[in-house]
Amino acid sequence: MDIQKVDMFIMSNSKFFESHQVNRIRESLIALDDSKWAMISTLQLKDPTIILIVSILAGSFGIDRFMIGDTGLGVGKLLTCGGLGIWTIVDWFMIQKATKEINIQKIQQYL
Amino acid sequence: MIENRIKLYTILLLTCFTGYIWLYLNMAYDITKNRSLEVCIIKRLTNIPCPSCGSTRSIISLLKGNYIEAFKLNPIGYILVIVMLILPIWIFMDIKLANNTLFRCYQKIKIYLKEPKYAFPLILFVVINWIWNIIKGL
Repeated sequence: MDIQKVDMFIMSNSKFFESHQVNRIRESLIALDDSKWAMISTLQLKDPTIILIVSILAGSFGIDRFMIGDTGLGVGKLLTCGGLGIWTIVDWFMIQKATKEINIQKIQQYL
Repeated sequence: MIENRIKLYTILLLTCFTGYIWLYLNMAYDITKNRSLEVCIIKRLTNIPCPSCGSTRSIISLLKGNYIEAFKLNPIGYILVIVMLILPIWIFMDIKLANNTLFRCYQKIKIYLKEPKYAFPLILFVVINWIWNIIKGL
């Protein structure tokens, strides 16, 4: 793909990924066929900051887990009162990393 | 994939064992002081019970054999008891037989729960249970 396009994508989307993975994504994108650009550019990625805010406000109901698509653990969190409050607090620190992992999985489908 | 499976099993086992320890603590406390411990963040902050408040008490009365009282306290207690009994056995069977039946089942549930026809009844159940909890004043 066009390097300029890829760099633009990376610049606007780098916060959605783990920093050590950005370089690898950039290289894979450059090697990618041009026809997949439409799919890549319209990819719906989750913002880790927004998920963190949701986690702080509604973490006891597992809404954060539901939002990133982790419905199984979301139900677990909902039914156990946020894992007795412990899981809620642990997730305040873990959820950003989990969100970035989900984003990587999403973009990996096209790479 | 393998890493994900181990991660999921660790989380589930940890949650289960925390649940068992929590249950033991509550039962020990229940006998000495005759009331239950409270950790629910929402209840502490807002004084409004959350959808799963009372499930510990529900499980304890289930263990004592008061099935109707357990249902009246919180129906979620029944679900939690079943899950807590099945999950550790299932995980140990999976690890021993080098299988991943639980992981595949979990992935399927994840996909099903994203469909509105399965998600909606669940949401409705939780909301009705929540309203009931607030009316009961747990």
